[in-house]
Order: sequence, then structure tokens, then C-alpha cells
Amino acid sequence: MTAIDIAVRRPVLTRGLVAALFVLAVGALCLMLEPVAPWLFAFPAAWTVPATDWVGNVLEVVLNTIKPTMRLFSAVVAYPMAGADWALSGTPWPIVLGAVTGLGWYIGGWRMSLLGLAGFGFVLLSGYWTESMNTLALVVVSVPLAVLLGGGIGLLANEAPRVRPALLATLDAMQTIPTFAYLTPLLLLFGFGPVVGLVASAIYAAPPMARNVILGLERVDAEVKEAGIMSGATRLQQLVLVEIPAAAQQIMVGVNQCLMAALSMVIIAAVIGGFDDIGWEVLLTMRKAQFGQAFLAGLVIVAFAIVIDRMSAQLALERQRFSWRIGAGIFGAGIALALVLALAGQADAPAGIFGAASEAVDTSLGAFTAANGAALDGIKNGAMFYGLLPLRIGLDQAVLPFTWGFQWTGAMSLWLFAAGALGGLALAMTGRPVAGVGLAILTGIIETGVANLPWPFVLSSVAALGWIAGGRRLAIIATLLLATILVSGLWERALLSIYLSGAAVAACTVVGGLLGLLSAVSPMAWRVVRPLCDMLQTIPLFVFLIPVLMFFQIGEFSAFLAICAYAIVPMIRYTRHGLISTPPDMLEAAIASGATPSQIMRDVRFPYAAPSILLGLNQTILYAFAMLVIAALIGTTGLGQSIYLALGQADVGLGVSAGAAMAILAFIADRLVQGFAAERRKALGLS
Amino acid sequence: MRTALFATTAILIASTVQAADLGAVDEPIKLAINEWTGQHVTTHVAGEMLEAAGYQVEYVTAGMMNQFQALADGDITATLEIWSSNVSDEYAKKIGEGTVVELGDLGLDAKEGLAYPSHVADLCPGLPAWEALKDCAGVFATAETLPMGRLVDYPADWGTPGAERITGFGLPFKAVPAGSEGALISELRASTEKKSPLFLVFWQPHWAMSAYDVKFVDVPVGNDECFNDASWGPNPDATMDCGFSPTRIFKAAWSGMEDKWPAAYEILSNYQLSVEAQQPMMGAVDVDGNAVEDVVSAWMTENEATWKPVVDAALN
Repeated sequence: MTAIDIAVRRPVLTRGLVAALFVLAVGALCLMLEPVAPWLFAFPAAWTVPATDWVGNVLEVVLNTIKPTMRLFSAVVAYPMAGADWALSGTPWPIVLGAVTGLGWYIGGWRMSLLGLAGFGFVLLSGYWTESMNTLALVVVSVPLAVLLGGGIGLLANEAPRVRPALLATLDAMQTIPTFAYLTPLLLLFGFGPVVGLVASAIYAAPPMARNVILGLERVDAEVKEAGIMSGATRLQQLVLVEIPAAAQQIMVGVNQCLMAALSMVIIAAVIGGFDDIGWEVLLTMRKAQFGQAFLAGLVIVAFAIVIDRMSAQLALERQRFSWRIGAGIFGAGIALALVLALAGQADAPAGIFGAASEAVDTSLGAFTAANGAALDGIKNGAMFYGLLPLRIGLDQAVLPFTWGFQWTGAMSLWLFAAGALGGLALAMTGRPVAGVGLAILTGIIETGVANLPWPFVLSSVAALGWIAGGRRLAIIATLLLATILVSGLWERALLSIYLSGAAVAACTVVGGLLGLLSAVSPMAWRVVRPLCDMLQTIPLFVFLIPVLMFFQIGEFSAFLAICAYAIVPMIRYTRHGLISTPPDMLEAAIASGATPSQIMRDVRFPYAAPSILLGLNQTILYAFAMLVIAALIGTTGLGQSIYLALGQADVGLGVSAGAAMAILAFIADRLVQGFAAERRKALGLS
Repeated sequence: MRTALFATTAILIASTVQAADLGAVDEPIKLAINEWTGQHVTTHVAGEMLEAAGYQVEYVTAGMMNQFQALADGDITATLEIWSSNVSDEYAKKIGEGTVVELGDLGLDAKEGLAYPSHVADLCPGLPAWEALKDCAGVFATAETLPMGRLVDYPADWGTPGAERITGFGLPFKAVPAGSEGALISELRASTEKKSPLFLVFWQPHWAMSAYDVKFVDVPVGNDECFNDASWGPNPDATMDCGFSPTRIFKAAWSGMEDKWPAAYEILSNYQLSVEAQQPMMGAVDVDGNAVEDVVSAWMTENEATWKPVVDAALN
């Protein structure tokens, strides 16, 4: 550390320090006033407004007004839907298999061809062929819809910069409001049946398309654009003939993301029913807690996802194509096989051959639970007693004779605060004042528990973080949005959601970061980790609820694990990606100056990867929020449960309000982290 | 006057046994398939009866909670196993609007109550008497509920009958909502595999009753007095110190069904299925792994005497 560094780090009133001191002051004030002003902790019910009822009433009027139009839409869309379904389930399986394998050859040679054959062959042998083709029909119709919708939004954002912020916020909302929250209104609008699933997946799958269109058009070289203008093209000609072709590759990435998002919504479409698809199969087996069978049905979706992902990703890369003649030949072979089978009277898809295997998986799950019951209970109790419980209700309530072996007393609270203050002071004296104040704040949070935090403290912390990350504007927006949750009466549930997803995000950051680091330094590890990541992202997560429940029973720890299983993936991917993409000249410079590998990692690669890692954190937070709804199936009590309650009671107001509350929390977290990431990038001179 | 009255009665009787029109036989009647096996059995038996009467039947998968909008729109013609303990508010709304009509009870005797897998009797001696639970709350305690015992309640969207019973009986337990039926079954499975304690709210007919040997706790029979009068029952200070109110299981149809398929409407209205008939079929599907269609058609051939009269009454 040089002399200049020390001078900069002398405790002067930086923005971060001011914010941290402000939060500390509010928190301390709340703690001191607790005996005289209990309303600081529990927001009085009398101060809330019946927002859910209002939302419900307004929506009912709106929905009934637009219902006839939407019903018309649903009648029209039912045709392509039925057509795709008829075509896919009516086509003999050898022809479908031949088509996929042949297409694979044309796109990527024998590797792709083999992948297509293996993937669809697995689907065939699983015995779920008919259900799978129904699922595929849903994807086939919803993806073009999403591509059109997303492409339209993207173009509009590109052409009309004035509406762009509003459009971006809409895209955020489309991705973060849990689908379950608006299923009831969708049912009302579009009527029962696969169209609801179709619309839901189009809503969810459109944003990645829109984002990639925006990004692609933005990145078109200025010279290319100018060439268009100079040759006298109108705006439309310029767009269609110059800019869109130039952005084609990025737009294809959007189509790929769109496909994956649509596939991940398959299970949601099944919740409504109306369609005998593979998602319904997962739901049925999940209801019976048959892990092996649910896993098999889930793997069918994974097989689809991998084939579709790899093939469409290959299409996005403009490489040379392989012989279409061989592709057509493979397709022809499929037709020939279909004819032979039809003549032999064997045209039906074969029965599944994995019955025994899934049975065995199921049995071994049971046996494992039986054999390791005590150990599993030990893990769960440890995590609950020393981790989750104190975080939720605070040390003062969680430390009891039968958890920690002694009773928490007021004196201990004082000792804890003293320790926190001393530690903070030590940090401040050694030149890290913000960290010092942060430590003091953390001490207060652990003592009180996230679910019991006084609301003025939460609001002011968000305001302070917003101010540091993005200035006054972000601070005001974030605080106002959070305040709407407070007065809508969903605050307690929101705090529970924050606690659970916060705990999961913290765990994912540590574990996922380490796994990402490992994958970055060892290609061997990445070869193991990558397929796991693929699977976790595409298999319907309902499937994993069964083993988690068997091992750890209904409760927060199970929910915590389920959330982690999903949310850890982006942390691993982005950390690895950030660490391996250090520019080679920087690495050479470091090696030339004699740095050891660990020094390079710490002083070159890690700082350079920081923005990417922060982006991973951002995605992890969004994933954790998305998973809260599914975790509610394990019996959590946060906003996710409200959404299910609303779904069960067809309560449009509660569903949409709870969904909006989740979207608000996700939005705030997203903007805060992006603010910090932008600051890091600026510090690195990257933008 | 007397003869006039007699004549009217005769006409009324005649009109009820009169053959109903088949109606639109070339359009399929759509029956809802919900998420559980018992309902699949119930629906397929009804479907085969309708087919025997000359109708086309289509089975449409539909979420239990979300099917009523479809029923009101006529996208689904009928749904045949609705549990009064687990029906969404939307059903009452649709009945109020007149877009959905009830078709009467299915005749399936359901029972709900506080329950435990049988091995738990060894861990908490005195069961099935409910009083035994007072002293062994500690056995059922978990990290989330310490020092109280844990009762796994229904998923929150089905209501909280377990929590109400705990308060009613004054038991030192805390109710934890299950979140989903899969979660309840996972709990039963894990508890049976590990021989660990479990106390939950459960119901029959359900395939898991026999698969995991689930027993009900003995409590006073539930009645309106108990639900409304605190002084009734073992706990003088609280209501709900008794069993569950008897669950009705009934059928419902789209309001346009009676005009479009009159005979089918009559068949479904008179259709009855008993626990004794349904439970073995559920076992044949869930435990032995047979297809619902095969199990049901085997049952149909063997039990023609049970269902044929209902079909014939509507046709002749």
C-alpha cells in the first residue's frame, strides 16, 4: 500500500460513510425507542390501506372490459395450437426423430446430429412421447409469439428513445412478477385451456428477446449506419436492410434465450391443465412424492432443453453449414423406418424402458433417508439453530436452553453491542470507516432478526444504499416503492421473503463464488460443474422438492436449500466467466513482472472480474426471488404463500399485489447491484 | 280436487322417469381430470357410463383450483369429485352467477382428521386417544417449533383446520402449513422410512392411508354445537375441540349441460361411487402401477349391476 492510498483512506466524510452513519443512527434510535414506541417495529394495521381490495376491484373492471377481445384472440390462437399439436402428435416418431437428427447434421455435422438423436431418442424411450409432443407443440407456438412480442418491444425501444425507460421497466416487470400471481386474471381473460399457458410463456419469454434486439441494434457500427443513410435509405429501409441484418447474430442469441425461457414455463402451463403434457406428468408424480418418476419426466424436459439450446446456439453462430444432402438422407431414413413400422403394425411409440430405473432411484432415496435420518436431522438442526433462526428472529429470541444450551440475556445483548462497536471502531481506526459502521449495523441486525427489523430502519437502509449506488433519484424511487409494500399490509410477509432469499443469496454467493473460482482454475472441475448447472436451470424445480422434503421435512431449511439449488447457477457461471476473461496482455504484464499465480488471481483477475461477478450476484438475487414462489410449495410463509392463497381463492387483487411486491423487491435489489457494478466498471475504466 | 292432485303427482312421477333426450351426441362431453388418482377413477367410471349411453367423452386435464372458470364457460362440461373442505371461493361465486350448477353428492364418504402413521403409536403411548398428545408434544418437536410439538397442517390454501384443533384442544403444538399435497406425502414417506414421529392432518379415501398405514386420532365427533359453543366438548373454554365437520364430496356441471345433453345430465346427477369401490381401484393404480383406463374398464365389466341401472333409467 502506498502513501497516497493511506491518505485517501483517512476517515473523511465520504458518501458511503455518511450513508452508513445515517443508517446506524436510525437503527440505534429505533432500538432505544422500542419500549415507548412499539409501532416502530410492528407497522400498525390501522395505517395500512386495503390495497389488495382496491387492486382487485380495479382489475375486475379492466379485465371484464377487455375480456371479449382477449377471448377472440384465444379463439384465433387455438387454431395454430391445435394444428401444431396435430402435426407433432400425428407424425410417426421415426419421422420426427429423423427430422431432428437430419437438421442436426445440417447445422453442426455429426456432433449435433448425434446430440439430436440421443436427446429425442431418450424422450422416445422414456415412454412419454405423446406428452412430449404436446409440450413441444406449446413451445412451437409460444416462441414465435414471444419473438414477435419481444422483437416489437425491442424495435420500439430502439426507435423511440423517449419511451425506452418505461419499456425497460415493463420488461423487468414481465420477468420478475411470478407467473402464478397473474394466472387467475389470465384464466379469466383467455378462458380455460392451453392458450393461458401459451400467453404466460410468451410474457415470460419475450423480455430476453427484446433485450437482445435492443443490444444488437445498439451495437451496429456507426459506419454501417452512416453508409445506409448516405445511400439515401428511408428509416424503414435502413432498419430492415441494414441494421437488423447487421444485428442478426445478437438477435439469434435472443431467440435462443427465448426458447429456453419458454421451455422453463412448461410446468406452469401444466398447473392450469387443459393439455396432457409432460409438465402435467411431473405434477402428478410430484403429488405422489415419487421422486424417481418425477425425475424421469423432468429429464425429458432437460433433454429437449439441451437439444434446442445447442442447436439454436449453433444457428446463432454464423459458421459454415454442413451438407444438406446428408441431412435430407437421414430424414429420408426416418420416413423409411416409419413406413416399415407402419406396415409391420408397430407405429405406436414404444412403452418406456426406464420404469425399473426410476423405481430404483425412488427406492434408494427412501433407503438413504432411512439410513441417514439422524445425520440429516443433525444438519438441519445445526443450520436452523445457528444460522437461519437467529437471522430471522434475532439472537435475543433464537438463543434458548434447548437450542444453544443457554438463555440469551439482556447483558449478553450489551456485550454483543459492545463487541460490535469495538470491532467497528477498530476497523474505522485502521482506515476502513465504512466497514466499521457496517459491522455495527450488522450486529444490530443479528441481535434483532430480519423479520423483526423496525420498518424505519429498513426504509432508511434502502435509501442509503440507493444513494450510494445510484444517487438521489434511485434512493427516492427505491424508498417510495418499498413504502407501497409497507402501507399495502404485505410488509410482514415481505420481510420473511427478504430474510429467506437473503439467506439463500448469501450462501449462494459464497459457495457459488468458490465453485466458480474452482471451475475457472480447473477445466476438469468445469466439466463436472457445467452439466450440473445446465440441469439445475432447465429441470422443473418441483422435482427437487421431493428429495429435499424427504431429507429435511417441511420448513424453512428445505425451502432455503431449494432456493439455493436454483439461484447458485448464475453465481458459478458469471464468476467463472469473469475470472477466465482477463485480457491476455494484462496477464502477460503480470507474469512479466513476476507475480505468482495466487497474486495474479488476487490482484489482476479478481478485480477485473468484479463487474461480471456483481452481475452474477444480480442474477442470483432475481433467481432467488423467482424461486420463492416454488419454495412456497414446501410451506414457507412469505409472499410466495400469499400468491398460492390467491391462486386457490381466485383472489385477483391479492395475487397481483403480492406478485407486484415481489417484483418491487427484485427491482430494488437489481438496481442497487447494477449501480454498484456500474461504479466498479467505471473504476476499472471499462465504460 | 283430489283427482286433480293425483293426476299432477302422476305426471310429476312420469316426468322424472321419462326418458331424457340424448341431445348432442356428436359433440364430446368434456370431463375434468384433476390432480389426484381417486378423481381419475371417479371420472373414468362416469365417462364409461356416458359412453355406454352413446355419448362421446373427452377427458381434459384441469387444475382443481382453476377449473371453475372453465366450467362456467362450458370449456369443461362437468367435474365429478369436489371436496367441500378444499373448494375455492370461486366455486361459490360461479354458483351464485348461475353459470355452474351442482349435481348432488357423489356418495363417497370422506373422513378428515388429525392423524399419524401407525409406528408413531410406539413413540407416543396412549394414542389414538387425543389426550395422549398433551404429554408427548416434546416427541414431535422440531427446530422450527421448539419447545412445542409440530403438527403438519393442510396447505394454507386449503384452510387451517389443524391449527384450529390445536387451539380447540389446547394442545402444546404449533401448526406448520404443508404447502402442497406432495409435501404432505413426502413427510409421510420420510417418517415411515425413518420411523420418526409425525403428526398431521389427513383424509380418506386416499391411497396413502393404506400405503403408510395412517391412523386417525380419536376425538369427539364434530357437530355445530362444538363449532359454535365453547362450553361443549372436553375443553370448556374453546370451540373446535372436536373432529372435523363431515366433508361433502359432490359433482358440478356447466349450467348449459342440462339443455345440451339432457340424458347425460341425468346420468351424472344420479351417479354414485362408494369408498369401497374407489379405494381398491386407487390401490390398483397407485400401488400396483396399472393404467386407470384398464382398472376402470375391468371394474365396469365386473360391476355392471351397480352402474347399468343408472344409465338405463336415463335412457328408457
